[in-house]
Amino acid sequence: MTDLPGFPSRRSFLKASAAGVAISGFALAATAQPAPPIQLDQYQPVFFTDAEWAFVLAATARLIPSDGDGPGAIEAGVPVFIDRELTGDFGTAVDWYMQGPHNAAADPLLGWQTPLTPAQIYREAIPAVNAWCEQTHGAIFADLAPDQQDTVLTAMQEGEVELAPEIRDFFKILLQNTKEGYFADPIYGGNAGMAAWAYIGFPGARAAYKEWVGRHNIAYPLGPVSISGDRA
Amino acid sequence: MNTILRVIGGAAVLGAAGLAAFVFVPVQRTVAVTDLPADWKAPEGAGEYVMYAGDCMACHTAEGGEPFAGGRAIHSPMGTIWSTNITPDPETGIGGYTLDEFRAAMIDGIRADGAHLYPAMPYENYRLMTEEDIRALYQYFMEDVAPVNNAVEATALSFPFNMRFGIRAWNWLALAHEAGPSAATGDAAFDRGAYLVQGAGHCAACHSPRTTFMAQDGLTESDENYLTGGEVAGWHAPALRGEGSAPHVWAVEEMAAYLSTGRNAHSAANGEMGLVVRDSLQHLTDEDNLAIATYLKAMDGEPGTPTVAEAATTTETMLTEATDLDLGARLYMDNCSACHFVDGKGAAEIFPELANNSIVTAPQIGGLANVILHGAELPSTEHRPMKLKMQGYADRLSDDEVAALMTFLRQAWGNDAPPVAASEIGAFRAPAH
Repeated sequence: MTDLPGFPSRRSFLKASAAGVAISGFALAATAQPAPPIQLDQYQPVFFTDAEWAFVLAATARLIPSDGDGPGAIEAGVPVFIDRELTGDFGTAVDWYMQGPHNAAADPLLGWQTPLTPAQIYREAIPAVNAWCEQTHGAIFADLAPDQQDTVLTAMQEGEVELAPEIRDFFKILLQNTKEGYFADPIYGGNAGMAAWAYIGFPGARAAYKEWVGRHNIAYPLGPVSISGDRA
Repeated sequence: MNTILRVIGGAAVLGAAGLAAFVFVPVQRTVAVTDLPADWKAPEGAGEYVMYAGDCMACHTAEGGEPFAGGRAIHSPMGTIWSTNITPDPETGIGGYTLDEFRAAMIDGIRADGAHLYPAMPYENYRLMTEEDIRALYQYFMEDVAPVNNAVEATALSFPFNMRFGIRAWNWLALAHEAGPSAATGDAAFDRGAYLVQGAGHCAACHSPRTTFMAQDGLTESDENYLTGGEVAGWHAPALRGEGSAPHVWAVEEMAAYLSTGRNAHSAANGEMGLVVRDSLQHLTDEDNLAIATYLKAMDGEPGTPTVAEAATTTETMLTEATDLDLGARLYMDNCSACHFVDGKGAAEIFPELANNSIVTAPQIGGLANVILHGAELPSTEHRPMKLKMQGYADRLSDDEVAALMTFLRQAWGNDAPPVAASEIGAFRAPAH
């Protein structure tokens, strides 16, 4: 698998996770009390405008809906994760090669060719998608009914929503960032209460399973632990 | 009536005279235990080696200061004692000391001017050194150490400890033993080990308990309480003899490895002992560290083989099954088990064993609390240069959690130490150094 900015391979994800573990020791507050989970309705977005925030809330709520057996993107705080992520290294493409020449319309196999950072893509793509929704369905995305929103998202994924080459990858990064916010450590704002980990049975940052290597077909009994030591 | 007055008056005069004598009569210096020729010369390097064995540098060098120029604060219950400049600077160091004056400082605790040293200087132990070693050390300081002009802060203890003549009475109790090494048994390794442990190494200064008068309770193995464990800077200095002690449980080679590298199959040298390994023991020859280990192992006769505690298996099974863990055990799984493992054995020379670990089970909880909160670092030694580090968990664990974790550790794998209360943890939150 190629390792391109915005579409990290498993390897670079693992590298990034390890760095996160290393950094977290410094980032924590001096107390050992776990931070209370972020209340989505009280959260003040750092990056998103109100209109953008409404879009992200609505879109992530359809990508991982709340009516399944596990927590949805909203309960997991995924929009908070994306808001923070876009102000951070990923959103600002801080460690990517972002010099020209840019040929945004190049073959997707050639990777990130747009001159825009992920944050800039959200900023330009959300109004474009909203405009398409108004034209096609008579309302902006956040105001559509859930099944209409699903139709729009499917159209985006199929490439049926005409977007400029510079922002054509918007759906891909939106879906990717939603998954990241759902499964990343709570220290980054998503996966509130480690609910996503508990749902899939992932034990978190314990990093020690030596005695389980040979224990086949036995359910692992411990709940997850986060980077900052919280238990669930 | 008159008779009574006369008796009282007479007693008062006698008392005053006695006190004056106690304060003002010059002190006696012990003569050399061996009469060496005046032109006797220590072999090349011998003096420096004695310096390492005696760990002079650790106390007589300030943090970031010139070697042996003094000025390190040594905290005692009586106040802060400032270590002296022992470079051969004539003005601020010991450049003006004759051999007899140097020997008196080493084995009688008496300065060149006749004043008593505070027993932070382990002259109780140095008293058991040979004249050859004292001569070699004198020669080293006078000829090989560069003089440094550094006037250190004068030690000013509170009353009555600022009355140095009071040490004279203390010395009657603490210096009752003959000068010179213990009688040889004929076993060369044992005798060499005994000499290093009792004398220059001054192990008993930390590892023996203290008497009511704060003297070392035991200087040689004929003393009942010798090396049965003491306290230093809030840490427990573990017993070096008896059932379950490290010399009892570890093989001689494992003990020698611990002394020379700060790590072995069981444990890692932390706190003050880490400094002893760094500054002193790693500079000794392998033969000498083996001799020390041999002596510690054989001091009480051939120790028995430790039995494998059934409780060790119980804890390991409990952590492996991992169902219904209490908070302490759960915290161990979440924070510790990646390195120390469910069997608590860690990994040889890297992660210390926690079963029967003297820091874990110590009566003073300071050592374990400090390691959990602030982490630990192994000294870099010639044989094992890597400064292996454990991270601290002060930011990750609350007082309740640290106490629960410590209680678990102190009772897991057959350990049998009392639980720890959350209220005891706060005192260790600020790093010790």
